[in-house]
Amino acid sequence: MTKLVPLGEAAALIHDGDHVALGGFSITRNTIALVHELVRRKVRGLTISACVLGIEADLLIGAGCVERLVYSGGSLDRFGQLGRVNEAVERKAIAFEYMSGLALTFRYAAGALGLPYMPIRSMLGSDLLPPLVAAGVAREERDPFGGGPLVLVRALVPDVAVVHAQVADADGNARVLGPRWDNDEAVAAARSVIVIAEEVVDAEEIRRLPELTLVPSFRTSALVHLPYAAHPTAVYRRYDYDADHLRLYAEATRSQRAFDDYVDRYVRSTDHASYLAAIGGEAKLASLAADSRLGY
Amino acid sequence: MATATAAFTTSELMVVAGARELHDGELAFVGLGIPQVAAALAQRTHAPGLVVLNEIGLADPRPIEFGVGNADPRHWYGASFMGSFSDVMGYLLARGLVDVGFLGALEVDAFGNANATEVRREDGSTRRFGGGGGSNDIASLARSTVVIVRHERRKLVERLEHLTNPGSLDGAGARTRAGLPGDGTRSVLTDKCVFGVDPSSGRLVVRSVHPGITADELRASTGFPIDLAPDLPTTAPPTREELELIREVIDPDRRYTRSF
Repeated sequence: MTKLVPLGEAAALIHDGDHVALGGFSITRNTIALVHELVRRKVRGLTISACVLGIEADLLIGAGCVERLVYSGGSLDRFGQLGRVNEAVERKAIAFEYMSGLALTFRYAAGALGLPYMPIRSMLGSDLLPPLVAAGVAREERDPFGGGPLVLVRALVPDVAVVHAQVADADGNARVLGPRWDNDEAVAAARSVIVIAEEVVDAEEIRRLPELTLVPSFRTSALVHLPYAAHPTAVYRRYDYDADHLRLYAEATRSQRAFDDYVDRYVRSTDHASYLAAIGGEAKLASLAADSRLGY
Repeated sequence: MATATAAFTTSELMVVAGARELHDGELAFVGLGIPQVAAALAQRTHAPGLVVLNEIGLADPRPIEFGVGNADPRHWYGASFMGSFSDVMGYLLARGLVDVGFLGALEVDAFGNANATEVRREDGSTRRFGGGGGSNDIASLARSTVVIVRHERRKLVERLEHLTNPGSLDGAGARTRAGLPGDGTRSVLTDKCVFGVDPSSGRLVVRSVHPGITADELRASTGFPIDLAPDLPTTAPPTREELELIREVIDPDRRYTRSF
């Protein structure tokens, strides 16, 4: 059964107050087009989670869609900081749970396994742990089998995981190439999954190399076929990040006013096609094409 | 100072000092910039079997150009393994198989603990940075950590704004009592000196001073008290071969080795 839907229909699966696990990592494989659509729809009260945040989180927080953030880090790498994320955390304008990357991955893993928590040795003795204990999402306990102190991190079950894939079939089997950071655990923990794919291929092609499938069709609620839906972030073996646009975004996110201008120009007044035209159109996109030997 | 440092930049000296912290056959996480150049140098000299890990989920890349961060596919090129965060941060790091993490920091204290989270602005408000990501996992779970930091009073501090990454915590034995494996910070590399750790106290001790740096300069730019032995060695300068590798092979554009 086909899971292919237009972008708007996929975005409509995300409701006010939902917990959305974001699939990007810094400047790579962010679900930008979907996030733009959520901003245009004025979704409110989201909890968002990801190990390493990228523009997708910054856009949602800057646009006022987010109430709670669960994360370990995030930036625009050398291009700069996630200004809207960092300012919201500094001013405590949103609630946040800040933990180590492995702790967050293990929280997804517990959710994925149907377990209430996972033990971990990260964060012991650090300033990361006390706020998590106070928030009721971590506890320090002793190993019941006679070992030493452990941190128990509470399961995380997102309502929706969103993930950008290079390739999918219409049934919603999605193939991801390159490293997968916390995608495996987030997808397996979530109640539903939205896949945005650069390319849709025949089911036979997926079944020819099933070991590359990250999301099997029975986990996928909706599949959107949308080339360049991760721009300006990189999609390994497809296209490079857009350094010009990342510089422009890094500057815009330094203040709410400049961010609002950016969102007016590139998000609120656009759809995906006019966004791609606004960032430089086909000539720009052609310049980002990945070299098949290098992967970028 | 001019004569002592004329032949190489401070960042080249730091690359070489960093490379000497990395040994053949080790599994290592290395941060962007000087740590990465140091790892590349170590691999081309005394540590051809050094394996670099990237927390994004890959091992042993052979990049042919510098990228902008862990998420840049330029840093993935040539990898022998790609998987998930759990594969590298879990099954290697949490399992206890990672020898060393070579990490940057916003602040470092006298016990080699590091802040990767936030600093205090002059007006007293908090400036938040992106966050530590997997750096707490590395500092907690690797067998040892090397920290690199700019040598300034506001960065080498008595008290951290945020203890994100544990070194010796509050002294010798504290890590074990807290339940942490590994030795924590074993050295801190700055643009003025190399600190080691006194195993009896867990405190940083100056192991070598970079050429041209005086004891007064070192004390004045360090925010915690330091003991300086009268016969402190000078940090060993780069060899001609090391400089050639840095300048002609590893960082020909001088992206990280022009100045510190």
